[in-house]
Amino acid sequence: MMPLQANVSKPNESTIRVPFDTPEHAKIAYRVLSVDQEPRRNFVQKTLSLEDDVLVVHFSADQVKNLRTAITSFFECLLLCQDTIKLFGKEPEA
Amino acid sequence: MVCALGIEGSANKIGVGIISNGKVLANVRRTYITPPGEGFLPKETAKHHRGAILGLVQASLKEAQLKPADLDVICYTKGPGMAPPLLVGAIVARTLSLLWQKPLLGVNHCIGHIEMGRLITGAQNPIVLYVSGGNTQVIAYSNKRYRIFGETIDIAVGNCLDRFARIIKLSNDPSPGYNIEQLAKQGKQYIKLPYVVKGMDVSFSGILSHIEELADPGKRRNKRKKQQDEPEPEYSQADLCYSLQETIFAMLVEITERAMAHCESNEVLIVGGVGCNERLQQMMGIMCEERNGKVFAIDERYCIDNGLMIAHAGAEMFKAGAQMPLEDAFVTQRYRTDEVLVNWRTD
Repeated sequence: MMPLQANVSKPNESTIRVPFDTPEHAKIAYRVLSVDQEPRRNFVQKTLSLEDDVLVVHFSADQVKNLRTAITSFFECLLLCQDTIKLFGKEPEA
Repeated sequence: MVCALGIEGSANKIGVGIISNGKVLANVRRTYITPPGEGFLPKETAKHHRGAILGLVQASLKEAQLKPADLDVICYTKGPGMAPPLLVGAIVARTLSLLWQKPLLGVNHCIGHIEMGRLITGAQNPIVLYVSGGNTQVIAYSNKRYRIFGETIDIAVGNCLDRFARIIKLSNDPSPGYNIEQLAKQGKQYIKLPYVVKGMDVSFSGILSHIEELADPGKRRNKRKKQQDEPEPEYSQADLCYSLQETIFAMLVEITERAMAHCESNEVLIVGGVGCNERLQQMMGIMCEERNGKVFAIDERYCIDNGLMIAHAGAEMFKAGAQMPLEDAFVTQRYRTDEVLVNWRTD
């Protein structure tokens, strides 16, 4: 579950594609991570979308600095969510 | 029969608790302890919590001998508190709620403390003194709300104690307040400090600046010209701790007593991290005795932030029919005690 590409084409834009084991897990991560709004003062737009088992996150910002902090904090949440799914997301144990 | 799992992480403690119909099944907690002289910062605290939380969820299920399927509701602290550590609990709670297909509830941290205190002590309708590192409030229940009768107008009482511990470089293990309490027992002379009660409210920041100057005269910010020829009196750390505790606890007892008189109540419940200070409990006890009242206090397992109190308050809300769509499961740094409609109480 590593990001495939962190593509920075336009000056301050970035798209991160995160593949998951199953579309269900991708959907869970999508719903969990969609809840939190970006802080108003960092002028970053974050849009999440789903492509089957891939979570696609698009960031755009007016300053690279803001873009970087937004991505860093997003990854912190993403990793925590992924770890939770890995640990507790298996089929119900006997 | 409601079985709830609660996750708390609004400050430097991260805890998970499981409660089933008022019966404690598990209550596990880890504390982020900083070196002497340093406080805990949001980012570092969140990092600590991220490393600890999943292990705690596993440990709590093991201790309770439950499977995820046995749970009815997942609860987390919605606020108030520091946003980054709060978010750690919220993310895990949301993910678990979706994975296990259980409803999710966000709980007000202060309400968690109050309901936990009522459950453990059996106090029916007490005046609540909620004292911790982030909050200082005198609360009474009336007409479906926990109403704030008095509170701090600047820093919390625990914050004042924590920062004083930092000034004199006391250890933060197990907690700065505990170490102040122990040192204060050796205090012999009372040093006069400002006593700041304003109506039903209290203020601690001025007391902190004052005692900071006494503790460290070299760092005096506004040097007064006159005093240069006078020798500076020397105070021991124990005397300072003793005097600080006596002064600020007296302030808290005063506003609590006034709230009791106003509400014609004779029960006091002390909750929050500072609430496990035995000197505060003792002083409150003396006041209550004089009024023929009764003080209810709880030990550090339930006093200091814990996941169980979130589970319990969440379970009460769940029983009363509360629901929360996932989109509303965010965190908020400011969330006042009286914002919550207490529809699980019938009195």
